[in-house]
Amino acid sequence: MTIEKWLLFLFDGAPVELKKNQIIIGIIIGLGFMALPLFIEGYWIRVLSSIFMYAIITGALNIIAGFAGYAAFGNIVFFGIGAYTTAMLMLRVGFPWWTGVFVGAILAALFAVLVGLPILRLRGHYFAIATLGINRAVEQIALDWGSFTGGGKGITLPLPKMEIQSFYAMIYFIMFGLLLLTILTNFLIARGRLGYALRAIRDNEDAAEASGIFAPTCKVIAWAISAFITGLTGGVFAYWFSFIEPAMVFDIMIAVKAFVMMMLGGAGTVLGPIIGAFLLELISETVWGQFLTIHMLILGIIVVGVVIFIPRGVLDLFRKKISLSALIRNIKNQSI
Amino acid sequence: MILQVLLNGIFLGAIYANIAVGFSLAWGVMDVINVTHGTMIVIGSFITFFLFKYVGIDPFLSIPVSMFVLFLIGYCTQKYLLNLVVKVGIFLSLILTFGLDLVFINVVLMIFTGDYRSVTPSYSGTNFQLGQITIPYIRLATLGICVLLTILLQLFLTKTRTGNAIRATSQNRQAAEIVGVNVAKVYSITLAVSAALAGACGSLISMVQSFTPFEGGFFIMKAFIICVLGGLGNVLGAIIGGLILGIVETMGARVLGTGFQEAISAIIMILVLIFMPKGIVGSKYK
Repeated sequence: MTIEKWLLFLFDGAPVELKKNQIIIGIIIGLGFMALPLFIEGYWIRVLSSIFMYAIITGALNIIAGFAGYAAFGNIVFFGIGAYTTAMLMLRVGFPWWTGVFVGAILAALFAVLVGLPILRLRGHYFAIATLGINRAVEQIALDWGSFTGGGKGITLPLPKMEIQSFYAMIYFIMFGLLLLTILTNFLIARGRLGYALRAIRDNEDAAEASGIFAPTCKVIAWAISAFITGLTGGVFAYWFSFIEPAMVFDIMIAVKAFVMMMLGGAGTVLGPIIGAFLLELISETVWGQFLTIHMLILGIIVVGVVIFIPRGVLDLFRKKISLSALIRNIKNQSI
Repeated sequence: MILQVLLNGIFLGAIYANIAVGFSLAWGVMDVINVTHGTMIVIGSFITFFLFKYVGIDPFLSIPVSMFVLFLIGYCTQKYLLNLVVKVGIFLSLILTFGLDLVFINVVLMIFTGDYRSVTPSYSGTNFQLGQITIPYIRLATLGICVLLTILLQLFLTKTRTGNAIRATSQNRQAAEIVGVNVAKVYSITLAVSAALAGACGSLISMVQSFTPFEGGFFIMKAFIICVLGGLGNVLGAIIGGLILGIVETMGARVLGTGFQEAISAIIMILVLIFMPKGIVGSKYK
């Protein structure tokens, strides 16, 4: 296949009519975020950067879990691979940070293809558990191979040679750019052939294959894209925090949080996961400020509440009429 | 020497099997991956710790107490939370149990703080010699209780009415519903039994190693590996998987040292998933 054909396969599809005011609102919000560093600094810049980061991870997860319906709980392994590749290339080889980030993302995508070929054949729980196992295996290798990766003590990256405020602003813009890239990728996939194929796979994989979708390739491509974006984010995270340890960058809770964000906004939609990430992170940030000791408890309660009350996301909730009786009816319908 | 290592492996494997039996029951019957299972084990450990330290009850006598408490926790979890989403698909139940896990961990953390705890009755550390082999009393008793619990579970599943209903629901939920099984109730009992086994396991583990509220993730990873290795759908799978893992880990630590142990067992699990997805003796609960 030529490159042109691949591009067509990935992104071509029915044109989506965006309404004029939707575009205008989008541009205004985008410009607003671009201008924001002029007015805020320090704490809120970092908070927004971390919200962007979660939105990117969630958006990337959405490609494999939202569109294709594969519960990749171990997706965070790509984050760790991106982070560690960046760290290792900067420290051991002396690459500039952005080269490390790109190489890390490419490695993450290659790793996704390599392990995706066998384990994307597994379905349901087995796939979820296989991804958890892969995450665990890579984390343990990073832990035990201390002479190279720094092991459980973690590893410190070279500090950026610029003023700290402008460094944080730069990270802010990088994360924002990555977020735009993630939204664009999700949008192109959603309207393209790949998106149709993935949704068909999610709804009924056997039927999708019977109607001519080559499911293995589609799933591997989707996971590789997801891994690439997650790997990029991991690399930037490593440069941003300039200290990483296995327990931090392979933390399964990041993936669980991303799943909740995805569901909160609406899985398998373009903007839903991003909105979910903003909602949950803002809540988490305000809660964190209030109750330092029990914020994880509250996060747990939020997770349970989201799963039971709004499993289809807030977008879906707004589209329909919200009422208590409708919520209760919904719960009754889905319980046994 | 090799006999001693093998025996240690069997002791460890018995505990592993005990971890996985309950977990595999919930997974096999309801298709629910109960991530809280690890933390339920930890709760069992803390119940034993509390009763031993503040009430002065012998750890072995506290096993029924932790089983009872965990039975109630499991029953309520399934009845009021998991039953609401279990029909929709694996996504929701998996994420729900992750969230619930956070809640459990932090409640335990608030009550008992994050310190390392251990239960050390007067007879801990005592052992007897059998030829060349050293056998600690606690390990032996643990092995015995694990075997006893497994036999009881098997009898419960095959000889009682409720057990039959559980197996019927596992084979075909709709058909079971048609012949009059109250599926919601059966599910609640299934998770309750699974949690009770976790409680017993926690009580036993509290005497063997020290623990914190965060230990659950370690147990759950072992449970994954054992269930994948042995296969779902019967008690035998968990026993075989647990024993294999216990012996392999002990032997591996002896021969290769402890580095990369976790990574290797995770990789073995993935390979088994790829090449032998049904495990060694996997099937439906029959």
